[in-house]
Amino acid sequence: MSLAAVALAFAASALLIAAAGKNPFVAYGALLQGSFGSWDRIAVGLNKATPYLLAGVGVTLCFRARVINIGGEGQIALGGLAATWVALKFPQAPIVVLPALSLGAGALAGALWAGLAAAIRLRRGVHEVLVTLLLNFVGVLIVSEVLQGDLGETGAGFPQSPLLARAAWLPRLVPRTDLHVGIVLAAIMVVMAHVALWRTPFGFRVRVLGASPSAAAYAGISPARTFVSVMLLSGALAGTAGAVEVLGVHYRLIEGFATGFGFNAVAIALLAALNPIAVLPAGLFFGFLETGALAMQRAVGVPSPLVAVIQGLTMVFVLSAMGLTAGRERA
Amino acid sequence: MPDAFVEFLSAAVRIATPLLFAALGGILSERAGVFAVGLEGMMLAGAFTGVVATYGTGMVAVGLLASVAGGMLLAAVVATATTRFRADQMVTGLAVNILALGLTSYLLRGFGARGEAPIIRVTTLPPLPVPWLGDLPVAGPVLFRQPLLTYGAVALTVGMFVFLVRTRPGLTLRAVGENPTAVFAVGGNPVRVRVAAVLAGGALAGLGGAVLSLQQVGTFTDGMTHGRGYLALAAIIVGRWMPGGALVGCLVFGAADALQLRVQALRLPVSSYVIQMLPYVVSLAVLAGLGRTARLPAAIGVPFVRERR
Repeated sequence: MSLAAVALAFAASALLIAAAGKNPFVAYGALLQGSFGSWDRIAVGLNKATPYLLAGVGVTLCFRARVINIGGEGQIALGGLAATWVALKFPQAPIVVLPALSLGAGALAGALWAGLAAAIRLRRGVHEVLVTLLLNFVGVLIVSEVLQGDLGETGAGFPQSPLLARAAWLPRLVPRTDLHVGIVLAAIMVVMAHVALWRTPFGFRVRVLGASPSAAAYAGISPARTFVSVMLLSGALAGTAGAVEVLGVHYRLIEGFATGFGFNAVAIALLAALNPIAVLPAGLFFGFLETGALAMQRAVGVPSPLVAVIQGLTMVFVLSAMGLTAGRERA
Repeated sequence: MPDAFVEFLSAAVRIATPLLFAALGGILSERAGVFAVGLEGMMLAGAFTGVVATYGTGMVAVGLLASVAGGMLLAAVVATATTRFRADQMVTGLAVNILALGLTSYLLRGFGARGEAPIIRVTTLPPLPVPWLGDLPVAGPVLFRQPLLTYGAVALTVGMFVFLVRTRPGLTLRAVGENPTAVFAVGGNPVRVRVAAVLAGGALAGLGGAVLSLQQVGTFTDGMTHGRGYLALAAIIVGRWMPGGALVGCLVFGAADALQLRVQALRLPVSSYVIQMLPYVVSLAVLAGLGRTARLPAAIGVPFVRERR
């Protein structure tokens, strides 16, 4: 189903390329070349996919429980902020401890931000879609505010933090490439989420609640407790995603460093049909698509925003297909 | 009253205008039972088609029509996916927003050489002072010396109220949002009503985008709506799905934005980022305050499926 949606999206986008007077096959060839053409390109694609995998797997758990957490943008931004703060605050920490500490701070910040949304939802009954959406803007603005003040690099000309101490950087996975260890962490999280969803009591509660709230009530499952757990978990994963992007790619906090990541995570979760293990191919697909797009623009002059068109169309097609199947099951 | 304050109020009204168009469009859609998360994308599409058509033909009227068409085009995607295919409304809205961002940026570069975005400039709509009323103190500059589309937004707010509360089609539309099965039972067609409501909502959101690009900025830039569609969504909820309430919500958000632009001139002791947060924090506070009394249309988010006999 997802493969068909991707194929349809590529076919529709080919028309757009043709309309601009370019050859779609040449353009897609350049896209492929830009994604997988060399070890360097592959390393960039894997790095790009890493935060998507982390945040995407969190969204998957939420959506499984019918919790529509679309607060990834804010949770990721604050995760990056917390990681930066810790890395700048304790530059003397030993070499392995500092990245671990920073990652932990990122996870904590993301979880707290999601927890705030969960609290407003439970206490005041405001739908989580609205709360998480509004908190996104606040979270991103907090990063801007801090970069203008305490954490900002003076005289940089752009809102960014000073470069982090080398001890805080995530180690490289393969020497002489940009590939950092984040992808391993992301893969572990994907597998753990898969096991948690299908092999633990927690996962059972999530699945029952998502499939039928009335059945969950009958089975004595507390909707509030499960709601809070998936929110905190996905917040922590999103926060980690932000921390990984800072510690592994930029080595500093930059304004807008994760724009669109949270929404891409939602797209990836859907593309994976809410299956944690399928987040792996879906996230990698998005990562490589985006690295390939810039190469495609350079090589054949097809504008790189075409990628967002492909992503958006894929989502619409997947959603439509999911809606149709759900409708048939009901009937 | 000091000039700076009058100017601030006038700016608040100006800034609220695009939000109000989008919010009114969103009310149509949500009152009929379809979440309007796609407002952001529809605004962006309208902003784009409006500028391109105005630039191409030199006629603002054509540009405005094009912005209506641009908003409706995306609304058609939402309407098809959510009614025909019963796709999840919220996430479809999100998808459409990503799609609009990509499509407008891609097409804009299609006009330029070598995949770079060209700069398309059009003259912005000038203020149209109302004779006599425009000379009033305070109220004159704030209310009666505004550009065309601002008057349009206010008129539309009144019209929307009358439509929803005093007309038969308006009643049907609200009934579809509350209980589509009942509408079906008396011979109505809930799916058709929803499609029409989403399309009309897209048209208005597209006009909201035109306010941004044709009345305020005079060009199109990537993602120029910057979350205003989401803000309109918040205004709808804060205004409890009524046109008048949404108007108040939009004005409050407009005032916060106008204040943010004046932080330095007014030597306020806070940063502009903190003031930029205000609309979102205020919305959250109002929503939390309303709590469970902020009742959504009962059938919102639920696809209508005909029962089988």
